[in-house]
Amino acid sequence: MHAVVFIKQVPQQNSVKITPDKQIDASGIEPIISLFDEYALEEALLQVEKNGGQVTVVTIGGEEQIDALRKALAMGANQAILVNDPALATIGSLDAAKVGAAVVKKLGDFDAIFCGKQSTDDETAVFGPALARYLGLPVLSYVFKVHELDANARRVVVDRAMETTTETVEASLPAVLTTVKDLNQPRYPSLLKIKKAQKADIPRWTAADLGLNPTELAPKVTYLDRVPPPPRPKGSIIDGASAQEKARKLVDALVDTQVI
Amino acid sequence: MNFELTEEQQFIQQTVRDFAQKEIAPRSAHIDATGEFPHAIFRHMAELGLLGLPFPEEYGGAEADALSVALATEEIARGDGSTALAYLAHIGLGSTPLHLFGTEEQKRRFLTPAAQGEYMAAFGLTEPQAGSDAGATRTTARLEGDEWVINGEKLWITNAPIAGHIIVAALTDKEQGRKGISMIIVPRGTPGLSFGKHEHKMGLRGSMSTAVFLNDVRVPKENLLGQRGRGYSHFLQVLDGGRITIGAMAIGLAQTAYETAVKYAQQRETFGKPIGAYQSVSNMIADMVVGLEAARLLVYKVAWLKDQGQPFSHAAAVAKLYATEASEKICRDAIQVLGGNGYSSEYPVERLYRDTRLLTIGEGTSEIQRMVIARHVLGSFAAQL
Ligand SMILES: Cc1cc2nc3c(=O)[nH]c(=O)nc-3n(C[C@H](O)[C@H](O)[C@H](O)COP(=O)(O)OP(=O)(O)OC[C@H]3O[C@@H](n4cnc5c(N)ncnc54)[C@H](O)[C@@H]3O)c2cc1C
Ligand SMILES: Cc1cc2nc3c(=O)[nH]c(=O)nc-3n(C[C@H](O)[C@H](O)[C@H](O)COP(=O)(O)OP(=O)(O)OC[C@H]3O[C@@H](n4cnc5c(N)ncnc54)[C@H](O)[C@@H]3O)c2cc1C
Repeated sequence: MHAVVFIKQVPQQNSVKITPDKQIDASGIEPIISLFDEYALEEALLQVEKNGGQVTVVTIGGEEQIDALRKALAMGANQAILVNDPALATIGSLDAAKVGAAVVKKLGDFDAIFCGKQSTDDETAVFGPALARYLGLPVLSYVFKVHELDANARRVVVDRAMETTTETVEASLPAVLTTVKDLNQPRYPSLLKIKKAQKADIPRWTAADLGLNPTELAPKVTYLDRVPPPPRPKGSIIDGASAQEKARKLVDALVDTQVI
Repeated sequence: MNFELTEEQQFIQQTVRDFAQKEIAPRSAHIDATGEFPHAIFRHMAELGLLGLPFPEEYGGAEADALSVALATEEIARGDGSTALAYLAHIGLGSTPLHLFGTEEQKRRFLTPAAQGEYMAAFGLTEPQAGSDAGATRTTARLEGDEWVINGEKLWITNAPIAGHIIVAALTDKEQGRKGISMIIVPRGTPGLSFGKHEHKMGLRGSMSTAVFLNDVRVPKENLLGQRGRGYSHFLQVLDGGRITIGAMAIGLAQTAYETAVKYAQQRETFGKPIGAYQSVSNMIADMVVGLEAARLLVYKVAWLKDQGQPFSHAAAVAKLYATEASEKICRDAIQVLGGNGYSSEYPVERLYRDTRLLTIGEGTSEIQRMVIARHVLGSFAAQL
């Protein structure tokens, strides 16, 4: 089977600072693979290990995204593709999905597409469903367990995590799966694969390579304002004569602040 | 001069840092309190390919350079000292001699399983009468037919009871003195091989260093590692490399002590101010920064020299001496910054201090490093003595 995984490199939470003129301060940003995408990648690797086949990872973005792709290769992905075109530097999630669909079409043969339920920077949760729409495929969002993924029978059965319930659903392949946290335990990159990952030839595709017209992909949303989150209030130590008393005070405090 | 790490070195550093912070650091207090060897961590490290980091791919290694190994060791030690010691003994002492001196067959039989993490490796040099004076080895090996018959006692052999093989230094030609020492590979389970108790140590309690008893231990003639009679110079070469990772381990422990002290100095208030506002505290922090920075430069430089194929024995002694003594001072000062809390096992600094304390002793004491360094400058005065 051929699994295609879309991953995105995002800033580590808390490493983003906003400058006084409300721009993003790029210094000090620690890049990581977006949390949910790591689960998507791990699931694709697991399924391919079980069923045989190939994993292709794809990222849309600048050269700095190469690190995320190399990490994915060192985790076990077979090939990586970077869609890098200055014309795409500011695209929104919907258009990114359009680009993603063009990538998948160019790859041609595939059985399943994995992506995180949303990225941890833009948080739109649009990419996966929109990608499915552009490709005319079923979308299984919020997947937290894959029961069966059978490329020969062209069948996939998963559990979806809804707000309060779970659903078990079946769809035909190919399909788009978006993953939630904790559906598996993402592996660490293998040091044995680092050399190969460093040397791997990662093709750069442009909008033109994908037959896309960049002017149609101009941003449709404009940022008007950015407000940094309020600083975290100072913690306090809960004192008490006994563990019971401390626990009671803690519970009271949590109720007072409506945490529970 | 170029102080940039290569992309590969950064990748290895970042991967091991993530792994050590998530999988090792949270278990460090438990490992110290119980003295349990961290088997699960080592199984996980094997999966990642850490246990064969510097060795050729054909033997299951990752073929990383010496600087990468130093960076990885530093990150592991940032997570936990016991794990770091067992790791560097496995790589630097138990496996490296095979890489340097092993025959093809020896590499297949012993380096490959060690590099793939099927088992831990150990190196037995120290004896009751031969520590700093490693040439005073009394363990003997005599050839009987096609077998070496080994008799003697080793002390403080890290990983010994869990090792798949132990490389022991033994006198094969007694009358030749130092020039009669050879290295021999002893596989686990060989009859006549037994171990002392898991020593109760000041620190590094989760790593196992025990006595090894060799009582008419018979191994095939082919288990001679390197040249007969060249064991002494062979293991000096092994120890030169080992000193780099001991220095890296010292940095890792000191880094955690430093970070703990910085956080504490910013948060703890006395007399209405954070203690970091007082010079006697902030000076300790400043000295920690300098010690760490200098130790890193020395250790990374000697690793770089090794990677360039240049002589590095002298630089290794300099780096090992400085990094381990700086680490001891940094961990000591971190306790001081934390006041009463520093003395408590609720905080990691007292453990780090106990852990780093070994490093001015193992793989050549500070005194021996000074001797090596001074001899390099002054000559040995052998003629005058
Ligand atoms: C936790 C731990 C793990 C270890 N792991 C291993 C291992 O895996 N394999 C192994 O072979 N060994 C191992 N060792 C042994 C270690 O290498 C020795 O302890 C070390 O080399 C010192 O030898 P010693 O203990 O006999 O001390 P000694 O050599 O007796 O030294 C005692 C003191 O005298 C000083 N001294 C000795 N000679 C001189 C001199 N000529 N000039 C100035 N000062 C001198 C020393 O610096 C030291 O201060 C380990 C030790 C420990 C504690
Ligand atoms: C084993 C043990 C037994 C003890 N027994 C007793 C006991 O029987 N009775 C009792 O009352 N207490 C006892 N103590 C408490 C002990 O006296 C305190 O730990 C000690 O006074 C330090 O206070 P602290 O831990 O709050 O550190 P802090 O006062 O928070 O000091 C932290 C660091 O900041 C430095 N610092 C603080 N203020 C300044 C300043 N203005 N200028 C420069 N540097 C500063 C300190 O020197 C230290 O390095 C005990 C502590 C221990 C660990």
